[in-house]
Amino acid sequence: MLRKFILFTLLIGLINACSPQATPTAAALAFTDGLGRQVTLNGPAQRVVSLAPSNTEILFAIGAGKQVIGRDQLSDFPEEAKAVADIGSTFDALNTELIVAQKPDLVLAAEINTPEQVKQLENLGLTVYYLKNPLTLEGMYDNLNVVAQMTGHTQETAKLVESLKARVAAVDEKIAPLSARMNVFYELDGTDPAKPYTAGKGTFITQLIDRAGGHNIAADIEGYPQLSLEQVVAADPAFIILGDARYGITPESIAQRPGWESLSAVKDGHVVPFNDDLVSRPGPRLVDALEELAKLLRPELFQ
Amino acid sequence: MYRRAPFLSSLLLLLIALLLSLAIGSVFIPPAELWRVITGTSSSEVFRTIFLDIRLPRTILIAFVGAALAGSGAAYQGLFRNPLADPYLIGVAAGAGLGAIMAMSIHWPYNTLGLLAIPMAAFITGLLTVYIVYTIAHVGGSVPTTNLILAGVAVSSFAVALTSFLMFKSTNEVRRAIGWLLGGVSLVSWGATLALIPYLAIGLGTLILGGYALNLLQFGDDQATQMGLHVRRAKFIIIVAASLVTAAAVSFAGIIGFVGLIVPHIVRIWWGVDYRRLIPLSIIGGAVVLLFADVLARVVLAPQELPVGIVTALAGAPFFLWVLRRAKNQGSG
Repeated sequence: MLRKFILFTLLIGLINACSPQATPTAAALAFTDGLGRQVTLNGPAQRVVSLAPSNTEILFAIGAGKQVIGRDQLSDFPEEAKAVADIGSTFDALNTELIVAQKPDLVLAAEINTPEQVKQLENLGLTVYYLKNPLTLEGMYDNLNVVAQMTGHTQETAKLVESLKARVAAVDEKIAPLSARMNVFYELDGTDPAKPYTAGKGTFITQLIDRAGGHNIAADIEGYPQLSLEQVVAADPAFIILGDARYGITPESIAQRPGWESLSAVKDGHVVPFNDDLVSRPGPRLVDALEELAKLLRPELFQ
Repeated sequence: MYRRAPFLSSLLLLLIALLLSLAIGSVFIPPAELWRVITGTSSSEVFRTIFLDIRLPRTILIAFVGAALAGSGAAYQGLFRNPLADPYLIGVAAGAGLGAIMAMSIHWPYNTLGLLAIPMAAFITGLLTVYIVYTIAHVGGSVPTTNLILAGVAVSSFAVALTSFLMFKSTNEVRRAIGWLLGGVSLVSWGATLALIPYLAIGLGTLILGGYALNLLQFGDDQATQMGLHVRRAKFIIIVAASLVTAAAVSFAGIIGFVGLIVPHIVRIWWGVDYRRLIPLSIIGGAVVLLFADVLARVVLAPQELPVGIVTALAGAPFFLWVLRRAKNQGSG
């Protein structure tokens, strides 16, 4: 009897799983996402689930915050985003049940999500758009525009992009004439003070430091390398920026690290805590990051 | 009662575990609604999707994986006459992990083949590793178990070192790789679940039939030969079957520890050492334990889901110690 019940349950499931899915009606909007997938929407999305903090920030920045009905656990900016339903972590296992229960008409995935996760959601009949990380500020503006089209906020976004460009131009105007560049070390994770992690070539950190009048001492190394303390000492950065400040790293704790006390940045008091979210989440706050970095490296120009 | 009717009581436990796994999730489905979903009369599209396309395939996949790991774990413990043997002893997991990480470092196109690249790579390298271990351990006309274990440990260490090296090198994929190595059921779909069936049917079927051979092997290779067993062939068949099953499970569910190690021991403590019963009971027990672990993984940190591999050890170890202690106290350990 029991076994029959199990078989029965399985059978029902199989039959249902094989039944055809509803086909979408004529679509008003068609997009190609970062995985090369065709994504179609029947008009602007009204119920959006964001799977990454950067996506959440973009959605709120372009004025689509009210359409966000679910966000991943790490999405904590802006403040209003915290009030949106938490659909769990997107790092390992997606909580697909919660996502489906929100009945989203668009799930906005990002590069922290895997293609497998996209497939998983797609299999559940959801509309998923995979937003690739931009490589430049221009690419970030493009991302804003794509999300704007999907959510019906193109006009506000055009204004936003215009103002972002103006702010970048204002920084460029002050920094570009400078010929000298200051060496900067950006610490991502100094759990092992003899081998701290930093960001290198191809990252926004390197790009923005450069644009803000500095030079990342790891600019020639691809990705997110671990530098040896020897390399840091040899480069003798004029500034040390603490992207790991939120994990309790302070200018004082840096000064206490063996071997670090001889660095110019430590002696001159040029060790500064920094909000890493500004550079690690590729959204409009990258421009905030640029401004903050510029003020930090060249305070005299921003009196 | 459970001591006298092992199959009845283990199947009852399985039923409870299946029902729990189907009933409990992040989204609460009222029992009446659940019944309507099962009978196909529910009008809620959301509940139907959650139940039929998320919970049901996941539940079955988890049951399959647990069965595969515990079944092959029991077979390995018998084959190696080693209580510490688990399905990963001779390199399947280390090899599969290496294959998976290698596949992750390549950007596959977003299509069926690209999405299957990681499980396929894991499956192939898992089996390949076992083949290498077996070949190395092969001496003259026989395959001494000590050789197998030592070769397995050495080759596994090498594969793990290579895996760590690759993870260290490619910072971008580390998170995904760690998730995989901790055992997380990604890509849950009917496709993955159904794809496991042929491997499990053949592999676990073979292991169940190998129960008598395993009984004979407990007397040592020489004795078993004298009792008429073709020892080398029996070993070979059991290793192939167990590796096939484990590699298939690992490729879709990542490396889930502990189940393959403890379930056979619990079965042995409760229901004795006859491998003709031990193997099928471990298969059922593995499904039960992993289902319970998966339910816990879903609720402990809700809405976040834990990798099930963490839960199996976290909840499984104390449970196993409890069983062990109780058995000792009753003088039947």
